[in-house]
Amino acid sequence: MEHIVFGIGITALTGALATVAGSAEDTESNIGSQGDPNSQVQLAPQMGFLHRIFNKAVAGEPPAYGLWCALGAGLAWAFMAMQFNAVLAIVLGSVLAVFVQGVYATTAYVGRTASLSKFGQPVYVDILKSMTTVTMAHAFIAIFATVALCQLINGALGHPFPLPLLGLVWGIALGAAGSATGNPYYGKERQYQNQKFGAGVPISASGNIVRYAEAGERNSLDNGWFTTKIGGSAAGVCFGLIVFLELWRTVLFEQVAAGWGAIVVGVLMILVFTVIDRYIEVWARKNYGPYTEAKEASS
Amino acid sequence: MSAVAAKPTAGSAMNPAAMAIGGVMFLILIGICYFIYPIGVMPLILIVVGGVLIGFGVHFVPVGGAPAAMGQAPGIATGVAMLAAGGGLAGLFGGAWAAAAGQDALVVVITGGIGGGLMMAITCMMVNFVYVFGMGIPAASGKVAKDPITGDTQAEYKSQGTEGHGLPFISFVGGVLGGIFAGAGGTLIYLELLEVYTAALPTVMGITATQVVPIAVSAAGMFAVGMFLVNAVLTAYNITGTIEGPHDPKFKRWPRSVVASAVASALCGLVAILIVAM
Repeated sequence: MEHIVFGIGITALTGALATVAGSAEDTESNIGSQGDPNSQVQLAPQMGFLHRIFNKAVAGEPPAYGLWCALGAGLAWAFMAMQFNAVLAIVLGSVLAVFVQGVYATTAYVGRTASLSKFGQPVYVDILKSMTTVTMAHAFIAIFATVALCQLINGALGHPFPLPLLGLVWGIALGAAGSATGNPYYGKERQYQNQKFGAGVPISASGNIVRYAEAGERNSLDNGWFTTKIGGSAAGVCFGLIVFLELWRTVLFEQVAAGWGAIVVGVLMILVFTVIDRYIEVWARKNYGPYTEAKEASS
Repeated sequence: MSAVAAKPTAGSAMNPAAMAIGGVMFLILIGICYFIYPIGVMPLILIVVGGVLIGFGVHFVPVGGAPAAMGQAPGIATGVAMLAAGGGLAGLFGGAWAAAAGQDALVVVITGGIGGGLMMAITCMMVNFVYVFGMGIPAASGKVAKDPITGDTQAEYKSQGTEGHGLPFISFVGGVLGGIFAGAGGTLIYLELLEVYTAALPTVMGITATQVVPIAVSAAGMFAVGMFLVNAVLTAYNITGTIEGPHDPKFKRWPRSVVASAVASALCGLVAILIVAM
């Protein structure tokens, strides 16, 4: 009983860490224009729209975070092997991983922007100096939270994978959840704030991203501020739910009926999310209504 | 014709000669394993089954890529291999845990599958949540007139100048099925490699069976992750960009990917097995 209560407590803590990690990951990627919306940041100068948006697509978010979290976890594991305190080891591992992220971000911004020089897009040194540090700060939160939850899974809950492998697995899952949930909000809602609300961006508008703020030119800090409210929160909830429910069903039900308990609970949770998804879909169709009459629908 | 206007040729490019060559390569690789390390043949065949499950499963996952991030196309706004890897590795995590708890192999593989399915269910639900409540956009498919499961009409819910957006119910179901297949496949690969390493490493390294467990788990886990990415990326090339799910015409390309995944998994699995056989 005590073991189960301890397991549930750790599960709750990992869920909370995962929520923070998901939120920080999405905000970091939005400030850096990593992920799929980067295509528009890269396209805009080619369409004649020069901008001051940070552009640091190192790779897709899942492999990028797979690398950084595996690096942070691997270094933390090495420090712990050198008898460092676990908290200090995770902080140091995450700091070193963040430096790698910063190097990638710098070279990505300079390289990608320099490739647009023929379209007149300048490399802004002030953008490089002010944005890189902000993405590094957010990346630190995401990496630290992920490595910490991996350490809890490995050390307290007894998962057989070593810490670096857990870092890779959950880093990739973090990037997948964060980019899946957060990308549309940044890509459509922020970059194309000049388009109609409640509709997708017409393909003909591609590249015409919003470049001006209330005062002066918009930069990526504005984008991070905007997207953290819904996109970042949703990404945090998404990753938090994934980690929490995956651990919860295992900790509580793995020993029930020789493992079938966790499977049945997993299936039930999938069915619950299916019902919620269907409710959301039907709610939208009823409340927003069709764009055109059914008979005219040909586009 | 622009890239946007161009329609995929949906599975019409099956090349029988290439498929036959793939089949021969697969048999040669199994034969090599039989001659060098006969007891590794059965695990290798199951590793191939795992790889094929991953390759097949990735076709179900609705991936919209960059257009989905602008609400220009349905699907999840990230890359095919990326998303499948996220779901499948979450499944592998659960499966490996069940294996460590000493559960039956069938239970372990199904646990891995359900872990992948759960990750995808949560992600797909949150994607629709953001589209509907964050951006005010309903889900609509660009590939079918009616949702094959619910029968909902799609065309009038597509906003002007787009191919659709969000995740219609069929895409949600496809995402969950893809996660289940990918998670189960990844876990099966892990389980088979763990079995091979646990049996062979004590002799190879001259240490006890207890000492070998962390090494075997780490090596099997790393190879499973690597082979997972090989199959996911291979399938991403077969899909070429985006896919809406099982109702998408591109879904019909899966036989090509299954053959490619079988050959690639056989080669990777052979290498993974031979590190303890030679």
